[in-house]
Amino acid sequence: MNSFDRQQVENELRKFVGGKVFVHSEATSYVFVRNFRMNLKEARVAGGERGSFRVAFRFDEQGWLRMEGLTHYEVDSEGHLLLAGYDDHGRMDVALHLGREAFPE
Amino acid sequence: MKEDLLGAGKKLLAVFAHPDDETFICGGTLAKYAAAGAEITLISATRGEMGRRMGNPPYLNRETIASAREQELREACRHLGVAHLHFLDIRDKTVEFIEEAELTARIEKYIREIEPDAVLTFHEQWGGHPDHCAIGRATRIAYEQSGCQSGLYYISYGNMMAAPERYGYTRKDVVKIDISEQFRAKLAAFRAHRCQSELDAWVWLPDAEAIAQFGKHEYFVRHQA
Repeated sequence: MNSFDRQQVENELRKFVGGKVFVHSEATSYVFVRNFRMNLKEARVAGGERGSFRVAFRFDEQGWLRMEGLTHYEVDSEGHLLLAGYDDHGRMDVALHLGREAFPE
Repeated sequence: MKEDLLGAGKKLLAVFAHPDDETFICGGTLAKYAAAGAEITLISATRGEMGRRMGNPPYLNRETIASAREQELREACRHLGVAHLHFLDIRDKTVEFIEEAELTARIEKYIREIEPDAVLTFHEQWGGHPDHCAIGRATRIAYEQSGCQSGLYYISYGNMMAAPERYGYTRKDVVKIDISEQFRAKLAAFRAHRCQSELDAWVWLPDAEAIAQFGKHEYFVRHQA
């Protein structure tokens, strides 16, 4: 994983906007959603002042998905955009992944 | 307290939830019986792919962690002497939501095929994590349905079963295994589970200092039919 680079992440998010995407989303200790399918209308990045970023999706007609605490990103060999937030001990707090195909169940 | 759970038997089956359960909780015992010639089979319900720990500093993400933890478990099994490893391919954190009859039937099939001389699993009440309790309950039911009577034992954390009365058991129900000859194997297995153990600084101290953190005994509770 690379340190979150706002410009790079915005470029990668743009590739998914306007299409159907599969999402893996989690706040690690509390909830995860795997292979939620949505029509991604907009993807926005904010924050960064304290070392972590916020990302929000608008999807379908009235949908919102917002996440904060994102510190890292990666585009993996399958073309998934992986966003994640780690604490100072390497533990993952949050994750937000986008793919055009379903993630392994 | 008894000090042996396998007797003259040679086949031990362990049914746990996540990679590292076998090492962190009862790695010394598995290594001890393996060294004595037992054939050990480990079934892991999941690959621990929803864990928080990703190495320290992190080198994994949610999509890469499953295969990494599988490889780490295979290495840990080599250190402990576990001969056979099977996964039930259930997603981490979802074991309790799997249809119980289906899960039980899968475990029962292994018990009937292996015909173990002892079965280890989690206590369905004292297992801690919901996945632990769920796999323990399914294994207990599978054991009973299989007609196997060789012995079902619940693993336990640290010294909790040194005083079993508070959990509704007596000292007669507890097996206490001396693992002091297996400290090195247990430590090697701990280190094999790198992404999980890297956060614990003591694991990476010089061997003698790390080993000093281990308790001399691992405790098991015998299931009462």
